[in-house]
Amino acid sequence: MNIGVYVCHCGTNIAGVIDVEKVTEYAATLDGVVVARNYKYMCSDPGKELIRNDIKEKNLDRVVVAACSPTMHEKTYRDVMEEMGGNPFLFEMANIREQDSWVHTDKDEATEKAYDLVRMAVAKVRKNEPLERIEIPVTQRALVIGGGVAGMEASLDLAEQGYEVILVEKEQSIGGHMSQLTKTFPTLDCPMCILAPKMALHEHKNITIYSFSEIEEVSGYVGNFEVSIRKKAKSVIEDLCNGCGLCQEKCPTKVLSVYDGNLGMRKAIYTLFPQAVPRIPVLDRENCLMFTKGKCGVCKKVCPTDAIDYEQQDEIVTEKVGAIIVATGYAEYDPSEIAEYGYGRYKNVLTGLQFERLTNASGPTLGALKRPSDGATPKRFAFIQCVGSRDVNTHEYCSKVCCMYTVKNARLLRDEHPESEVYVFYTDVRSAGKGYEEFYKISQEKGVKFVRGRASEIVGLPDDNLLVRTEDTFTGNVIEAEVDMVILACALLPTEDSAKLRDILKISEGTDGFFLEAHPKLRPVDTLTDGVYIAGCAQGPRDIADTVVHAKGAASGASVLISHTKMSLDPISAYSDESVCRGCGECKLVCQFGAIEIEPLDGRLIANVNEVLCKGCGACVGACCNGAMTIKHFKDEQINSMIEAAMEVA
Amino acid sequence: MVNKALVIGGGVAGLQASLDMADKGIEVYVVEKEPSIGGRMAQLDKTFPTNDCSICILAPKMADCFGHHNINVMTYSEVTDVTGSAGDFTVTVLKKARYVDAEKCTGCGECMEKCPVKKIPNKFEMGLGTRRAIYLPFLQAVPRVATIDAENCLYLTKGKCGNCAKVCQREAILYDQKDEIVEINVSAIIIATGYDVWDPTPASEYGYGRYPNVYTAMEYERLICAAGPTQGHIERRSDGKRPQKIAFIQCVGSRNVRMGRPYCCSVCCMHSTKEAILAREHHDDIESFIFYKALRTFGKGFNEYMERAKSDYGVVYINSDATVQENPENQNPIVVYDLDGHIEKKEVDIVVLATSLIPRPETRILAEKIGISVDEFGFLESADKLLAPLDTMVPGIFLAGYCHEPMDIPEAVAQASGAAARAAEVMEVR
Repeated sequence: MNIGVYVCHCGTNIAGVIDVEKVTEYAATLDGVVVARNYKYMCSDPGKELIRNDIKEKNLDRVVVAACSPTMHEKTYRDVMEEMGGNPFLFEMANIREQDSWVHTDKDEATEKAYDLVRMAVAKVRKNEPLERIEIPVTQRALVIGGGVAGMEASLDLAEQGYEVILVEKEQSIGGHMSQLTKTFPTLDCPMCILAPKMALHEHKNITIYSFSEIEEVSGYVGNFEVSIRKKAKSVIEDLCNGCGLCQEKCPTKVLSVYDGNLGMRKAIYTLFPQAVPRIPVLDRENCLMFTKGKCGVCKKVCPTDAIDYEQQDEIVTEKVGAIIVATGYAEYDPSEIAEYGYGRYKNVLTGLQFERLTNASGPTLGALKRPSDGATPKRFAFIQCVGSRDVNTHEYCSKVCCMYTVKNARLLRDEHPESEVYVFYTDVRSAGKGYEEFYKISQEKGVKFVRGRASEIVGLPDDNLLVRTEDTFTGNVIEAEVDMVILACALLPTEDSAKLRDILKISEGTDGFFLEAHPKLRPVDTLTDGVYIAGCAQGPRDIADTVVHAKGAASGASVLISHTKMSLDPISAYSDESVCRGCGECKLVCQFGAIEIEPLDGRLIANVNEVLCKGCGACVGACCNGAMTIKHFKDEQINSMIEAAMEVA
Repeated sequence: MVNKALVIGGGVAGLQASLDMADKGIEVYVVEKEPSIGGRMAQLDKTFPTNDCSICILAPKMADCFGHHNINVMTYSEVTDVTGSAGDFTVTVLKKARYVDAEKCTGCGECMEKCPVKKIPNKFEMGLGTRRAIYLPFLQAVPRVATIDAENCLYLTKGKCGNCAKVCQREAILYDQKDEIVEINVSAIIIATGYDVWDPTPASEYGYGRYPNVYTAMEYERLICAAGPTQGHIERRSDGKRPQKIAFIQCVGSRNVRMGRPYCCSVCCMHSTKEAILAREHHDDIESFIFYKALRTFGKGFNEYMERAKSDYGVVYINSDATVQENPENQNPIVVYDLDGHIEKKEVDIVVLATSLIPRPETRILAEKIGISVDEFGFLESADKLLAPLDTMVPGIFLAGYCHEPMDIPEAVAQASGAAARAAEVMEVR
């Protein structure tokens, strides 16, 4: 065994506190060490050259570098080992910078500590075993979950780079929340008009859409996922339906339209909106007379292509993909739990999304401004901000988009109905973003009245008008405003099915319930599950512009992965000793990565670790009460050798 | 079409865009005008809302980028011209002479110790610290190659000294090195040139430049940073005393039509909150007051962070405009503000100004030269805010980070990845 030890000065970072010459001399006395050197910067080319030469000339098979944290340069030196034909895992770093010179001022004691750290690293490297990186193939296709603007954008970016994309949408049409909106801020574009060209993605040769479908199960791992998708029965044969709309027209059953915020009606067989993609209607079996009463059949009778199939069953399809992007968006908070606002009790109290539908030219009133209670044209409006957000009783987080969409709606009201009176009751106006502050200023100039204060109460008046009570926190005055309509800027929440998806994909969520990114600063589109990315509001509230960018980021992450036909993984993983394991399953319980299965072997149960899914965290090793579980590169004997070395005196 | 791309700017956005492309097999040139990559993020002490040490989380990315076999990092270099079109751009790069052979230099620092020109304000330390005429801008600089500042070097200005050449064991000093013009051919370009800190001197109501104990937020970041000029000890400019009361004033030069910048910089509410928290983490008797127009803590975990600043760190938020006077006896700044319609004064030990972050003037010059539109404030304009937010009107040239609009680090990182995806689409890499 020929060990080389290299002590780095890191300029004065290490050498300013630690006597590197002494550490080098000391290292040379350790068992197995055939050469010890020090250098200004081991990570520089001349520094690495020193190691290369020694590996060649002194036949080194193991190397220790005493320098910075392994997160900085472990890879640098492992690469040197590999380059020289050695095994990169016969290498150890002793961290004498972050854990020594940077945190100690006494030079003698810091040098003593460096002796200890080097001695421990040498003891460990002696016990290290050569490990081979695991090479796995990569399926060069991606799955995108959610067909809102984030999912569409990510799909298009992947498809344009030449990758096949499977897009799964739970509603019958792609388009998401953006398709429901009236105008976008700050450009005042018509959302449907700018969304429609993107929705043409169903014609892209690289994109396959499964609408009215849900993710049932995901197995496999990074680069090699197998996804089961439940295509829910539409009761319409997709290949036959030409989307003519005759069935919708003739269907006798009217149902409240959730898409229209329950402000309008749809039929029992319906598409979400006129520009729906795909243009195939879905039969709502809960309300269809054929299913509830066993009679009617009008749709089947009128269908010119005989596409109606009352017997259709859900279908499970499987797709193999290398990467997954989660773009499931958000749900709007139901404000009825805030009793003092009277939502649900007073018909003229609406949520933000309901107001978008009410003012939408393709909405339930075809854009005519009418109050739900009596159809009268409202003239006085109050927008109430932070409903369910920035509130310890509901959600502490800020929903980020409400200030701007309220400013937009308030401004549009003043533009289109100059006689209207518009109040906005706010906590802070958060108009940060390109052109947003300017947009807010214009709304002020156009006469929108901004009052700083959280509305305390909405009182219903006999004529269906509403009285909004609040304190103006600038002046301290209590304000009462009588209005014809109140619009609540409701919080953005994670979608109802996000917990289910979280479990299927083995990703995590933050305290706010949104999916958690791998790092809040530097890995905003990655999750901690390799190969799974997040885009848009699934990660947290953000507006359309930010969502588009975030989705492009996620597409980039996924495309980096699937641009390769194979990938190599770190071999540091756990394994179980079959002769000792008794299959109790404690390890499986603690494994966050779903890497352990309890499987039968010769009539008994044992734990089996999937080394691709295993991240080498070691939780299972701690949980195993039989000592059957071991982690490569951190075996008991390897760790013990370090502890023993630590206890020795230099 | 060559499978190559150019990234202008080696800050966190440029690094991310480069890594995403390089990992796909695209050959990337990163052109950074400073001697080191790292950009603004390298200057920050900690990052919100996790209080991670900024350089600690950035340094591995800097090392990855510099060491990547598909990335060619050109520091101390500037893009001077771009001709051609998507798929075939010719880029002219000025490689400024650093008078040091980058191949030979190990960054050992001997030369810097022996250089006699000592008191040059270090730009990286926002002028709070000094450097020599031959220098590394900061400890973790990448590449670790010294640079001679020709304006201050005695040998280059007066023909005498030569200390650095004498002590350099690797004979890396090249006093006769010349600027070099190189041309590179790429298929796509990503501009990620970041921001500048606005100098608040013209807004005389804050007393910056006049009162020594008024700082910009970027100066304060260096002041509390353990690797900064005071090793993280908060010392007043006037007398070196450690402050007990700190006032943070928001929207200095932003949301301010008079100063020509109505826009909101989007990050200052959070960085001031962080800076107030960090002050309290340094010394638990420090009191912080944040004077704000509107509290914009809107990102993931941000509102919770602000609430924690109030409840756990005693940070006091005061909703008012504020101006600064000075107590001539002790040079304490006095903040004048409005409380429920009354003028109030609060004497503090230092004031930290959340100054406007502005697009770089040199970015405008480059943009105009290559036909990218620039808005009235100097931000580069995208083809369409919603439909093509990272595209410019010039096909093949994309945008990432603050040069394009105000944003924080994760947004810049997401944008950079997004721009990398768009650039890859040009090259149809598979």
